Amino acid sequence: MHIRKFDHDYSRRVFLAKTGTMAGAGVLAPLWPMIANSADISKAYPDELMSVEGYTKGKVNTGDMITAANVDYVKDLLPPITYKQIKEMGRKIKIVPTTKDVTKMFPADYLEATLRNAGKGRIDKDNNITTAEGKPWIGGNPFPDAKTGLELMGNLTMSWGRANNCVYAIKDYDIGPDGKLAYQYDFGWFEQNAIARLGAAGPYMEGAGHADKLRYQMVLFTGPSDVKGTAYLSTWYNDQRKFPDLVGYVPAFKRVRKFPTNQRFEPLVAGITLYLSDAWAAGDPLLTWGNFKVIDRRPMLGAVSQNWYGDDANWEAPVHGGPQGITFQDTSYEMCPECIVVEAEPVGYPRAPVGKKRVWIDVRNMEFVAYHTYDRRGELFKSFEPIFSQYVKGNLKDMDHTGKNPTWSWTGVMSHDIQTNRMSRFRQNKECTGGIKSARNVDGMYEKFLTEQAVARLGT
Amino acid sequence: MESIRHKIARIAVRNSWVSLAITLVITAVFGYGLLHVEAKTIFSDLFPKTHPFVQTFKDHPNFGNPLTVTMMVKRTDGKDIFQAETMDKIWKMSRDVDLVPGVDHDQIISVATAKARYTVLTSDGIYSNPIMDEKAPTTDEELTEVRRRINESPVVRTFLVSQDSTAAIINATFIERLVDYGVVFEGVQDIIKKYSDGQHTVYVAGWPTLTGWVYHFGSDTIKIFAVTLSLMFIFLLIAMRNMAGVLTPALVSTFSAIWGFGFVGWIHNPVEPLLMVVPLLLIARSFSHSVQATERYYELLAECGDKKKAAEMSLAVMLAPGTLGIFTDVCGLLLVALAPIPALERFSLFTGFWALMLVPTSVIMTPVLLSLLPAPKNVEKLVGHSKESGLINKLLNVTLTGLAGLSTGKAAKTTAFVFVVLGVISVALMLRLQVGNPVEGSNLLRYDSEFNTAVREINKSFPGVMTLEVIFEGKEGRIVRQSDTLLSMRNLQRCLESQPHPPTATLSMADYAPEANRLFNGGNPKWSLIDRDDASASAAASALLLGTSPVAFSHIANFEQTNATVSLWYANNKQETVDLALVDTHLCLDGIGLDHKNFRIRLASGSIALQQSINDTVDKYQWYIMAGINLVIAIGCTLAYRSFAAALILLVPVNLANIMLTAYMVMAGMGLDVNTLPILAIGIGVGIDYGIYMLSRICEEYKDCQHIGDAIKHSLVTCGKAILFTALLMTIGIVPWYFLSELKFLSDMGLLLCVVMTINMVLALVLVPLLVYLFNPKFVSSEHQLLSESVDGLLDTPSHAAASQADA
Repeated sequence: MHIRKFDHDYSRRVFLAKTGTMAGAGVLAPLWPMIANSADISKAYPDELMSVEGYTKGKVNTGDMITAANVDYVKDLLPPITYKQIKEMGRKIKIVPTTKDVTKMFPADYLEATLRNAGKGRIDKDNNITTAEGKPWIGGNPFPDAKTGLELMGNLTMSWGRANNCVYAIKDYDIGPDGKLAYQYDFGWFEQNAIARLGAAGPYMEGAGHADKLRYQMVLFTGPSDVKGTAYLSTWYNDQRKFPDLVGYVPAFKRVRKFPTNQRFEPLVAGITLYLSDAWAAGDPLLTWGNFKVIDRRPMLGAVSQNWYGDDANWEAPVHGGPQGITFQDTSYEMCPECIVVEAEPVGYPRAPVGKKRVWIDVRNMEFVAYHTYDRRGELFKSFEPIFSQYVKGNLKDMDHTGKNPTWSWTGVMSHDIQTNRMSRFRQNKECTGGIKSARNVDGMYEKFLTEQAVARLGT
Repeated sequence: MESIRHKIARIAVRNSWVSLAITLVITAVFGYGLLHVEAKTIFSDLFPKTHPFVQTFKDHPNFGNPLTVTMMVKRTDGKDIFQAETMDKIWKMSRDVDLVPGVDHDQIISVATAKARYTVLTSDGIYSNPIMDEKAPTTDEELTEVRRRINESPVVRTFLVSQDSTAAIINATFIERLVDYGVVFEGVQDIIKKYSDGQHTVYVAGWPTLTGWVYHFGSDTIKIFAVTLSLMFIFLLIAMRNMAGVLTPALVSTFSAIWGFGFVGWIHNPVEPLLMVVPLLLIARSFSHSVQATERYYELLAECGDKKKAAEMSLAVMLAPGTLGIFTDVCGLLLVALAPIPALERFSLFTGFWALMLVPTSVIMTPVLLSLLPAPKNVEKLVGHSKESGLINKLLNVTLTGLAGLSTGKAAKTTAFVFVVLGVISVALMLRLQVGNPVEGSNLLRYDSEFNTAVREINKSFPGVMTLEVIFEGKEGRIVRQSDTLLSMRNLQRCLESQPHPPTATLSMADYAPEANRLFNGGNPKWSLIDRDDASASAAASALLLGTSPVAFSHIANFEQTNATVSLWYANNKQETVDLALVDTHLCLDGIGLDHKNFRIRLASGSIALQQSINDTVDKYQWYIMAGINLVIAIGCTLAYRSFAAALILLVPVNLANIMLTAYMVMAGMGLDVNTLPILAIGIGVGIDYGIYMLSRICEEYKDCQHIGDAIKHSLVTCGKAILFTALLMTIGIVPWYFLSELKFLSDMGLLLCVVMTINMVLALVLVPLLVYLFNPKFVSSEHQLLSESVDGLLDTPSHAAASQADA
């Protein structure tokens, strides 16, 4: 049954009324009580927000490919750079059904922690995120039904990979404006939360020296040979006003290079468009940015499901588009019924080339579906586009550390500098050069990978 | 039997409304093309596309900083830049230029940006930090610390702060796809205004700035057009004082302008604003042809008293010489395209087509319009038959009669001697002509222009803004990570620096990589040498690029690190310096070898190389163009007059005119360059017109009076007057460019066009008659209907009468 009252304009009016207020997610009913009860969002949104057919009045259907020919029907549902890629650069995206069961949009233990700790998150007098008792955060999204820009960005910042630790075996392809491959790197990305941890061992990492830390994170390049062993180690503090410590390691000289702590707008190695600042749409400590504003609530198309290529031996995705047909990863998008659009400015970086970032966050899992930066003139600068998925394809599954639940993670990222027209596309592979395998909740990761000594040892 | 030209004249004039309607329809079609006319400078099109230097530049456009704006902040009160207010300006300018549209945010470099770093070695690692902290220094301690850091950073000290510490550089590079030179220019000008004060002057150089200036001054073109057309119109009004005489040249010139501009609009060929003086010249040429025909019409009207008949007769007699004159113009303009410079090729097509269209619009339509407009009442006065003929006419008659005296009788030999002497002197001067017209900065702008002043000032304080780039073009792999590349670069730099005339500075990856090698090995200078193997070279390059985008080094290596350059700065770009630099570079490269396993070395790019490419091309192609024009004229005139002697008589004055023009350029301190090359071609076209009109008239007058002296005298007071008048008219049209245009390029062209037209006019009025008088060639007395200006019996032939009857 279609209730005419809940038409397209009804949703738009509701979003308009909610923008700038402290309202929670959901159009027909509050979202999070439903998620807590049944993980089903069906009753929170009208059909128009859960199917592209409804939104476009049948001009685009689930299963269709969005191309330059029909992208204008869904222009309002796409971030501007994605629209430009489809309209002008030969990109195509496939529309898949909207995920109504949100358990498919979280790692199981992270969703459990989010629900368990709901209502316990606080913003303290310094604007840091704590528990009600003023202790470091204890796991899951601190603000499941976030309403302010700070809360929304806080969710993204406190845990990136939504696991105690993650290893991502990554292949990076850097495509030039001519559409040709300019650089290619293999690297491992290692991250481990020191607080906000999940599971029976408690929310805080054991051992001395971790109490004031949020996370440890390391990038280790394993190929090609001229960068093999090059590594960056970043140590984040729990106090989000402090810059992380950043060191680089150059194996040929067996030396550590200390970087200025606020050097967050430079690529790690030649040819990559990704800045540290871009990672997870929250690559910098929360409070080194400011002027957080919720500017919009709206439905969007986002790459949040059916994006795992388990049928490929190394989980590689097919590519297409651009001048040489290799610029974009094949990606499935679905209607995200409600996204909150947040803007923030790099107030802690007097030399930043970025004027502001705009992040589109899906209220179902409080994960970002799109991220754009703008230069200081307000012109579009870069897109850091995540591709998420539960690791299920037909009968193929990749299971999490418990062996009971399918893995949920990102599968790809496309970082596109629209001004120089350089694209870096990353793929989380099963394994990359150097024998690094993607995994989560790995024992002993800190000692093996996340200290200066480990970094030096790995580079030899 | 009725000749073709008579038939054309009859059909065109007797169906004058139809002729006008057809012209208006064609004008409307071309007028639609005006909507698509685009005036823009494409800088790469100003260079000869076949020259190896230009091909190197096009293959490696990122080297030599073609898209970099260089701003220099200079303290003017004797203090150094380590003052709080100066540092604040440098900081804010570096931030403000980041707001200019099209800037590459990763390529803004100054002592205030994070890319200018100093390095500190400690026991726990290497710290490479920005020279300025998170704000501009304000206290004495902070200023002292910044000074210390700069002094410890050799590249910053050389390229970003002057040796006397009174000036600092801010470089901003723009993205080619996004750059709009006009917008960049306005943005940078705002910065200059904002940060200049009593203690600071801001100088700005770089190609985007130069293009911005060209656009800026180019916008004056319409104003200058309006001034010059108004002046020509006023002159015509004073001289003619009748509606037909004023309106006709104005109308036909408007038609031709719409056809010419409409054509380039239709074919979507952008018009080069730098060459806008030539369209104006063509408008003046249209005026000129129209005035020639109008003058002839007046004479015939005075004779027959019927405007229709006079118009038809004037078209019949002027069609052939007018067309031949235009034909030579067209050939001259088209032959400019021999020089393989795309801007000149486009210019050649545009102006050649326009010139060709002068046949229908000016030669044919002038009599048609005259036949439609009321007959002037002051004809007797205009042709000088009346006792009341005006003062101008009287002066012209006296002058021209005097000139006739120089070419005939006893004075002829003296005049000939004078011409021989002038010719010898001119040839002697011509041999001293320098190819190239080097200035510090750009010859498009005046010496004292803001841009050229900025270039000189920056050159004084820094290695400079004009470079010669020796390109290392990769065949295999990332060559900047290979030992052979770094070693070859270093050897080239050392060799050049040890020559008697070394560059003021050199820069390449071979400078950066060893420094990175030293720092990562603990800082001891002994580690400044890189082991001669690829692993060591690669390690040094990796260390250098760690945590940095390759765009930070895009001035010396491309993004993919597969090509690189050795940049050489020289004290100036004068020809002598450039020649020595090229000789030294070739000498050094002989020892290094051009072809290596993984790369080849190509000469050359950078502003010095591009300047040289133009000079080489001009030097080579000026002879081809001149020879081509002479050949075309020789063939055309030989056929038209059925006499090679006639062609010779016409070619001697126009070539002498060019020699004299060249001599003038030597005396004026000007060199032959891309600015002046088209003038030589156009000059011949102008000169030959005058010669053809004069020679044809002498022939016809000779048939009447059978006395060469009298024929010359009669020709001068009739045809000569028209030549003198039109030359004056054209000069009035062109000379304001010299005074009004801020672009030296247009000024030079305006001045040289005036000079060449004056010389050609004098030679047509004196030398052509003199040669005819001295050699008395047979063709003067022979029948040569093709170029006949005679009207005898024109209207009495039976065929014509029959045709007239039929029309009636």
